[in-house]
Amino acid sequence: MSSLTNRLREFLFAPQSSVWLTILRTGLGLQVFCYGISLRADWIEVLSRENQGLIRRDLTEAMLSAESPFIPRVGWLVDAGAYFGLSERAVLWSVWLLLIIAALLVAVGLFCRTSSVVLWLLYVCTAKSAELLSYGVDNFTVIGLFYLAIAPLPDSASLDARWRGIHPRSSVLHGLHQRVLQFHMCIIYFFGGISKCAGRGWWNGVSLWRALTRAPFDVVPPEVLIRMAFVLPVFGILVCVMEATYPIFIWPRKTRFVWFVGVVGMHVAIGLMMGMYLFASVMIILNVAAFGPELMGLGERKTASHADPDLALPAE
Amino acid sequence: MAFFALQFLLILLVCFRDIFSTFADSRTIFPTSLHRFWIQATAVVAAPLGRTLSETTPARQIISAYLNTTGIEAGYSYFAPNVPASYKIVFELHYPDGRTEFELPQVGGRATGLRLATLLDVIAETEYEPLRAMMVKMLAYAVWQEHSEAVKARAVFGYVDLPTPAEFKQGKKESYHTLFAYDIDFALAQIQKR
Repeated sequence: MSSLTNRLREFLFAPQSSVWLTILRTGLGLQVFCYGISLRADWIEVLSRENQGLIRRDLTEAMLSAESPFIPRVGWLVDAGAYFGLSERAVLWSVWLLLIIAALLVAVGLFCRTSSVVLWLLYVCTAKSAELLSYGVDNFTVIGLFYLAIAPLPDSASLDARWRGIHPRSSVLHGLHQRVLQFHMCIIYFFGGISKCAGRGWWNGVSLWRALTRAPFDVVPPEVLIRMAFVLPVFGILVCVMEATYPIFIWPRKTRFVWFVGVVGMHVAIGLMMGMYLFASVMIILNVAAFGPELMGLGERKTASHADPDLALPAE
Repeated sequence: MAFFALQFLLILLVCFRDIFSTFADSRTIFPTSLHRFWIQATAVVAAPLGRTLSETTPARQIISAYLNTTGIEAGYSYFAPNVPASYKIVFELHYPDGRTEFELPQVGGRATGLRLATLLDVIAETEYEPLRAMMVKMLAYAVWQEHSEAVKARAVFGYVDLPTPAEFKQGKKESYHTLFAYDIDFALAQIQKR
């Protein structure tokens, strides 16, 4: 029993460099920056109450309040702005600007902790206040931003470490936080894969065909797609198998590379063939941060008892 | 460690609730006799998440706020077990001179276009009629702002039936089926605008 506990402890607390956190921080910073830029033209329409855009924010927030009055929302910021005499429009553009600035600060690693917490909370506010218009990308971005906000920041590549001279946190802490992200990725793919396996359409290629021809994801014309109809069942089954067995085959060294490349390739294909660039990029960022460093030889784990002393830098 | 253990317990509960309810509501490869089991299983895992408590219970509200703030309130059964139908809304705008125009909701960029698809899915899945009508009217009003001379509109909401690869090869095209329609009068909006 104690040997099992020791093995678990070694697995969870194996020292790790901060490369994974550099990838997560830089990737999510750029991700949110692109999110802000891509929504700039519709920002007011998506979040406004006064202008009555696509869907009024007060309806979404009323539904949110019915769920829980404690869920962060843009309405709180608008109310606070109104107290200081700011219009809704001014507050919404301030939120957008703050989101962009926080994203850039996170990307370069300046004032990491503060900017990552601000970015996470602002993103939650905007995603929740526009929940009727949100999809998977928002969930995964919030998951990533939450893990970033509680991560042992700063990482050694951040400006905080290089310019402001703040020492990176303990490598053991980095190991634990990376494991948390790895476990979460395994759960995501396992449940995604199992639920797809239960549908007949994923075994005969029909679901893949429907996913690729369904508006607004129909980037590739069906006339082109039909020429590849014979491979659709193969790719449909591959998606199911790859996702459902991800928690098994992503760990052993012999299979990790294949599963990692397969899953990242799947997301690249989703981005290019379905036009879901932001969804694809956030999934790639999370995968690369979780399993990339060890694959690329940048963050080789060491057992707790043989940790490289250089990796175990003092806490901030 | 206790925090992470709790975090993963919540993630697993949400995932199991999502997958069981998905299996209960959809056609799957499992025998239909399991339908009752999926419903019962959904209820079992929903209880620790506070879903069986009253909506005003603080415990339920706090759990819900935590799940939403950390992005773990939803499961991961995207496009599963089957890819859902694609929905479409068309507005038939009527002008005082008898003209009629057809319009789709307009957005500024592709990123918002993807999000609009989510809104149409939500409208289709909303069973509470007044809420559904309100969402359609909001979309109609957004369209009217670009066509403020229109006095009335008929919003037609439907789903697009996509052919299978075999049907597509035989020349079958996608077809549009109406689910519901609403008539909207813009007289009040015009008065307010003036």
